[in-house]
Amino acid sequence: MIDVYRALFVGQIQAASQYRVQSVLWMLFSVIRPVIFLAAWVAVANAQGGRVASYDVRDFAAYYVALSLVSNLATSWNAYDFEFEVRMGRLSPKLLRPLHPIHYAVVENIVWKMTTIIPLLIVLGFVAVTFDARFRATPVHLVLFVPSVILGGSLAFLGGWVIATSAFWTTRVHAVSTLWDRAVFIFAGQIAPLALLPGALQTIALVLPFGYMLGVPAEILQGAVDVPTAMLLIAVQAIWVAIFYALLQVVWRVGVRQYTGVGA
Amino acid sequence: MGEPIIDVRDLRKTFRVTERQEGLAATLRSFVRRQRRDVNAVAGITFRIEAGEVVGFLGPNGAGKTTTLKVLSGLLYPTAGEAHVLGFVPWRRENAYLQQMTLLMGNRTQLVWDIPAADSFRVLQEIYGVPDESFRRTVGELTELLELQDLVHKPVRNLSLGERMKVEFAAGLIQSPRVAFLDEPTIGLDVSMQSRIRRFVAEYNRRTGATILLTSHYMDDVVALCRRVIVIHHGHLLYDGPLADLAERMAPYKIITATLRDGAAATIDLAAYGTVTGRDEGRVTLKVDRQGAPERAARLVNELGENLADISVEDPPIEEVIDRVFSEERVGTAT
Repeated sequence: MIDVYRALFVGQIQAASQYRVQSVLWMLFSVIRPVIFLAAWVAVANAQGGRVASYDVRDFAAYYVALSLVSNLATSWNAYDFEFEVRMGRLSPKLLRPLHPIHYAVVENIVWKMTTIIPLLIVLGFVAVTFDARFRATPVHLVLFVPSVILGGSLAFLGGWVIATSAFWTTRVHAVSTLWDRAVFIFAGQIAPLALLPGALQTIALVLPFGYMLGVPAEILQGAVDVPTAMLLIAVQAIWVAIFYALLQVVWRVGVRQYTGVGA
Repeated sequence: MGEPIIDVRDLRKTFRVTERQEGLAATLRSFVRRQRRDVNAVAGITFRIEAGEVVGFLGPNGAGKTTTLKVLSGLLYPTAGEAHVLGFVPWRRENAYLQQMTLLMGNRTQLVWDIPAADSFRVLQEIYGVPDESFRRTVGELTELLELQDLVHKPVRNLSLGERMKVEFAAGLIQSPRVAFLDEPTIGLDVSMQSRIRRFVAEYNRRTGATILLTSHYMDDVVALCRRVIVIHHGHLLYDGPLADLAERMAPYKIITATLRDGAAATIDLAAYGTVTGRDEGRVTLKVDRQGAPERAARLVNELGENLADISVEDPPIEEVIDRVFSEERVGTAT
């Protein structure tokens, strides 16, 4: 399998190298939204004497810088790609090879992140300095961030695949995946840090899987939660990953029987 | 006769399709209540194919050919029936099966557009676990047979349709499959490229002994490659037997072409010998009953004497036979 991944990486890096500028533009686009929210929260905080609940302006800056990094590392676009592949019949050759189609998506995602991480860090460094971000993370937080962002990315990836697999039944999954993305937008910590969501919404966000994709790794990187809490959140992330992994196995097995090979 | 490589028994595939009438009212109604209809794409077909055979799978559009190939390759689950290919149940998609099989569809791409085919070949080598030495040998052979030397290092998106199809063939055969399903492999290609692909398939079969099931709307493909054909229509098997016998079984007539000397065509009435179906200056084409063809030809030679410059007795063109089969749906299986 290592040889397969190496070959897939080489092919994907070659393909990605042809779209370097596009990749960087997409990356910049993905940073715009968190920066807008950061600016909004800074304005709100300044209007309230420099603080909203436990967050001051510098905390907001640290949170949104961390969230931008996590979003870039953990987000994937499987549902849209998968729908396209099902609709155009491009999934068919992949289904007939002795390799699960999910592996191509894993490599695509990793390569995309590799090609955009350096310009992203430069942009985020600039944002952090401009807004005077204050990170409270200890070295232990930084160590815990690694499994947390991997689990967050795995959760987002597997969740996206479960949604995408509905294309086996419907051929088009755009509406479903848009609904999923909106839920991520509300509950994953993009509008506000999870700690600042009003009572009921915060409870819902902690029960649903979305916050464990982005918000939790971002708060760990920012150092907003203490180490025992961080470890507990990582354990919950692991449980969600296990649930979505099992769900994907079932949905895939049933769904692939529905595949009609349209357009192929 | 050994175990068949492909063994299909009463295979069925039914698709449930949604239908609605045109117009706004029907569109609104379809939001609430959808009308569904079952389409029997494959309605119970049975056949066996032995190792090394090249079999033509014929039928008009919508006959169920591609659906059958998709089921046999493992892409689709059948609604009912059994199939074994190389001893495997295809739709279980076991890796050991997928490593020995390929499905090539004309006009469909499985290569990555943005990178040269040579790099896609490398990826496929690893996916199929082809050892380096076999890989080099196979790629070398495919490069020679398909004349790929200048093509494999260009990004696939820069290749013409014909060039891409050749490269697709190579990509589909990297794993040296024992069974190849070819669905319209020459579709959209110019005559010279069609002919090259045909020669390649024949040579590949000869060199490797691979079993090939091929669909094509171009009868030249079938005539050049297949001694045996399976004809299906509306999901039913109409004929399974030698291509040479198809005309005999399906078209109870022969074509006599008589070429008359200058001026004779205008004065001699050939309607007494058979049904005149064509007249092109001195060449007259007659359709005659199959059994009576030798006797009619002999009469023409005797009675026209020196007015006859040339004469031939042939089966009707294969396209005409197939068209007749599809329009009349004469059911029969060669034994």
